Amino acid sequence: MPKLSPEILHLLDQSNTTKIVATTDEFGKPYAIASPYLHAGPEGELVHLELLEKSATNRNLLRSLWFDKKVSVTLVAADGSNYVIQGRPVKALISGPIFRRHYQDVRLLLGDADLAAVWLIEPEEVVNETYAVQKLEEEERFPFSVHLDRLAV
Amino acid sequence: MADVVTRQADQDSLQDVVARYPEVPRLIVIKTDVQRRGVFYTDRALSVLDESLHQVTGTHIFGARDGQIEARPESLLLRDGSSIITTPTPLEQNPYTVDRIDGKLWLVDAGEPVEEVDYWPAPDFYALTSSSGIPMKNIVSARPQRLNIFPYRYCTFWNNGKGCTFCDIVCQLKKGKEELQIPARLNPVEVGEVVREALREPGRFSAVFLTSGSITSGREPFDDEVDYYIEILEEVGKNFRTKKYPSQIIGTAFNERQLERLYKETGLMSYTADIEVLNEDLFNRHCPGKAEWIGYREWKRRLVAAVDIFGPGRVNTGLVAGIELAKPYGFRSEDEALKRVLEEAEELASQGVGTVFIVWSPRPDTPLGDQKNASLDYYIRLAQGLHDLRVKYRLPIGYDDYRHCGNHPDSDLSRLLPY
Repeated sequence: MPKLSPEILHLLDQSNTTKIVATTDEFGKPYAIASPYLHAGPEGELVHLELLEKSATNRNLLRSLWFDKKVSVTLVAADGSNYVIQGRPVKALISGPIFRRHYQDVRLLLGDADLAAVWLIEPEEVVNETYAVQKLEEEERFPFSVHLDRLAV
Repeated sequence: MADVVTRQADQDSLQDVVARYPEVPRLIVIKTDVQRRGVFYTDRALSVLDESLHQVTGTHIFGARDGQIEARPESLLLRDGSSIITTPTPLEQNPYTVDRIDGKLWLVDAGEPVEEVDYWPAPDFYALTSSSGIPMKNIVSARPQRLNIFPYRYCTFWNNGKGCTFCDIVCQLKKGKEELQIPARLNPVEVGEVVREALREPGRFSAVFLTSGSITSGREPFDDEVDYYIEILEEVGKNFRTKKYPSQIIGTAFNERQLERLYKETGLMSYTADIEVLNEDLFNRHCPGKAEWIGYREWKRRLVAAVDIFGPGRVNTGLVAGIELAKPYGFRSEDEALKRVLEEAEELASQGVGTVFIVWSPRPDTPLGDQKNASLDYYIRLAQGLHDLRVKYRLPIGYDDYRHCGNHPDSDLSRLLPY
């Protein structure tokens, strides 16, 4: 499992970072949702709190764990910088001290809410999708992709 | 009938079956095989068992395969959050081994690590005693998300020697009474007290579950059993602000009047009456007490009648899968068994009654204790078949799923369903 960089850990720690978890169903149909409580776990895994047992995301995460499929996590910072992390769900906690702590946190934040599972996602690949970074890379690697008017005198 | 059963693919390895059924999650195949073969805990694995953190064997209503009563892990959790309900099994029966490797617990088969597992976490109330001084864990036990109440640990079908042939409830009662000081009959007020304490633990429990041996006595047969369940459920219900709360009972097949009482007078939300085997002749042989007091056809009729009371998707029946192949009266082959069992399960499903199975683990103190259960291939096909019926007839199984029970490979498959 690759280590998450300090930049990613910082983004995960910020409450104003937009965090998206994208999964697919059995037919490959994508489904992306906001995951406001997504954070880094102690061993560098991504921790997604799934509130509803029968949600499309919970079922898709389970399918990914069962059949070894990847999911995608997107982090968008307030300044627009963003990262896409691909990984695999490796564990669903439904009981025990970690689950209990998150259950209590969720209820503190949301009132009468439930927690279906604490999902641990092992990151496998991190891509810096920030426009400035991707633009630079594209212009270096694909010089024929540019529109000429951008180069005109 | 045959005295030699054709167990298809009996020599299959776990990998063979995983490869043969790519649509079935490997974890469910593993779980099923562990239930089939049992487990043996190494000293290394037992050295990290800590009663303050983990559940150790408690108020089992049924016994272990090795016939021992001692403090061992209650059971195991898999990475997908489901449980493997299994019992310690002698090494000569070729169980999986639970070992500690690099500080983590693993299921090991033939020396090869197969899957990482966890022990069940101990609930807070396990450390407490009731107001009468009984350890609370001897009154109510726990699964990872379920409170288990075994109100009455005797089954009166045994009074005239007509207990089920695969069941060791009475033998286990004697052991539990003598060695663990577990009360044979629970005090309903004390049950309510323990449930109240259990509910103080945030996020721990999502269901209340009751089961006991059948009690034939009463004005009508089984009235005393129903009265006792109602008494218990009323005390449990005092701990909830809603009239109904997620709950399941595995009881005898009660008549409509008794079912109405259970539903209307308590918070009970679902009902299960285990028929054990889906074949009239085998039911009569393996469940002579049930056959004598109710009968196979009436058992099924009462299940269907319960749907009108509890609602569709709130009633099911359980099978001890594998006894339909037990010698000498069982089906001749696993193919035949599967076909016949699924035909009868479909007849029930079409009327709103679900069917789940547990893997039969032959226990030493039973008439069938020296027999083998079915092949892994059979259990996987049975799980798929029962799941497919649930899809075909759109029967939810939320009251008996991985979270609320954890003992049914077929209902594990239904976790992906949107209902």
